[in-house]
Amino acid sequence: MSNETLIFPDMPALSPETLRVSGLELARGELTLVRDFDLEVAPGQAVLMSGPNGTGKTTLLRAIAGFIRPEAGKVRFGEQSVATAAPDMLAWLGHADGLKPGETPRQALRFWAEMAGQPSRPVLPLMRAMAIESLIDRPVARLSRGQQRRTAMVRVALANRPIWLLDEPAGPLDGGGRARLAELVAWHRSRGGSVIAATHQLLDWPDAIRIDLGAHR
Amino acid sequence: MSPLASIFIREARLAWAGGGGAAGPAAFFLAAITLAPLAIGPAPDLLAAIAAGIMSFAALLSVLQSADRLFGDDHGDGTAELYLLSGVTPVWLVLAKVMGQAAATLWPMPAIGLVGALMYGVPIGPALVGALALLAAIPALALIAGFAGALAAGIRRSGLLIALIATPMMVPVLIFAAGAGRSAFDGDERALANLMLTLAVSLGTTALAPFGIAAALRSRLG
Repeated sequence: MSNETLIFPDMPALSPETLRVSGLELARGELTLVRDFDLEVAPGQAVLMSGPNGTGKTTLLRAIAGFIRPEAGKVRFGEQSVATAAPDMLAWLGHADGLKPGETPRQALRFWAEMAGQPSRPVLPLMRAMAIESLIDRPVARLSRGQQRRTAMVRVALANRPIWLLDEPAGPLDGGGRARLAELVAWHRSRGGSVIAATHQLLDWPDAIRIDLGAHR
Repeated sequence: MSPLASIFIREARLAWAGGGGAAGPAAFFLAAITLAPLAIGPAPDLLAAIAAGIMSFAALLSVLQSADRLFGDDHGDGTAELYLLSGVTPVWLVLAKVMGQAAATLWPMPAIGLVGALMYGVPIGPALVGALALLAAIPALALIAGFAGALAAGIRRSGLLIALIATPMMVPVLIFAAGAGRSAFDGDERALANLMLTLAVSLGTTALAPFGIAAALRSRLG
């Protein structure tokens, strides 16, 4: 795997923007998770957030995506706010993979490509890059957790959005899967894309900015 | 294909792939209308008179049967977030979803209602009016069930909550749909009026419910 170069498909060019988070305060009930949190992610950068369970990594990602309203602070993409720009800027990978047990990866990925307004031609090359192309017509219910995660990563790449928000992307992945994930992220960054990932694992992404969220209480 | 058409088709496909499509609600509907006469007793005149009421009532309950899955599954498997980030206007998105599922799962309802009414001894004319009323009621029933399902998305054992939210809201469409069949059986000219009112409730629900469903889903994500 390490001496084999992955081939990624040609996709329409990204229009990268800098993500700016300023003065963010997040709470869960009475408990303040982060206060005065600032973050700037320029095109091509990657951010790895770590921290013990319950420090608010997922909450922070959800606030950046606009799923929850922060107690205070702003999230902006270039000059635009989350509310207007999120669908054009973000590709999301949550705890759950967003797959339906009765669907095959082919059906699911074509559907999400259509929803993102992108061609479905890169489905197969991207699945090949994640080493799951032979599973394209197998119902998701019969894929392993790691294979489902890889399928979800293909969905993220397929959306062709400049900023990826990934919650525990490597959770169920094996060593080979993590290496392919790293290559996928490197490819995305080489196109001007940026990545923010919450993770417990030591991911070896070159020049990634590391943030320990436990220190922001 | 437009995103809304894709959502509609996918929802119909998922209803077949994951839930047996129309089989669930149809089986429930058939069981209810088969059991009712056994409980009521062998009185042909009585059965013919109450047929329209039983059909509408059983149809209503069979719609609730799958209401927890439509939005509950999306909430659990991470699809809800992806929909929210898709940029498709949520109101249209939920309408396409509900209608996609309804098209795949509820189409046998008018046919079963027609055959059921004939079995109960209703003449063909009034039985057809009753079946038409069920057809006209489908959008209202599906959207109200969808609204209750969206409010309860992500709650464990949401079935109870859905039944409690949806049944009071289904009262008007139940009254008009059953009224259409009953008036037709009595030879009353109010049958057409009831049929129109059923349709009116469905149209009104189609215009309003998607806003409620979209707001409910948004709040369930927070």
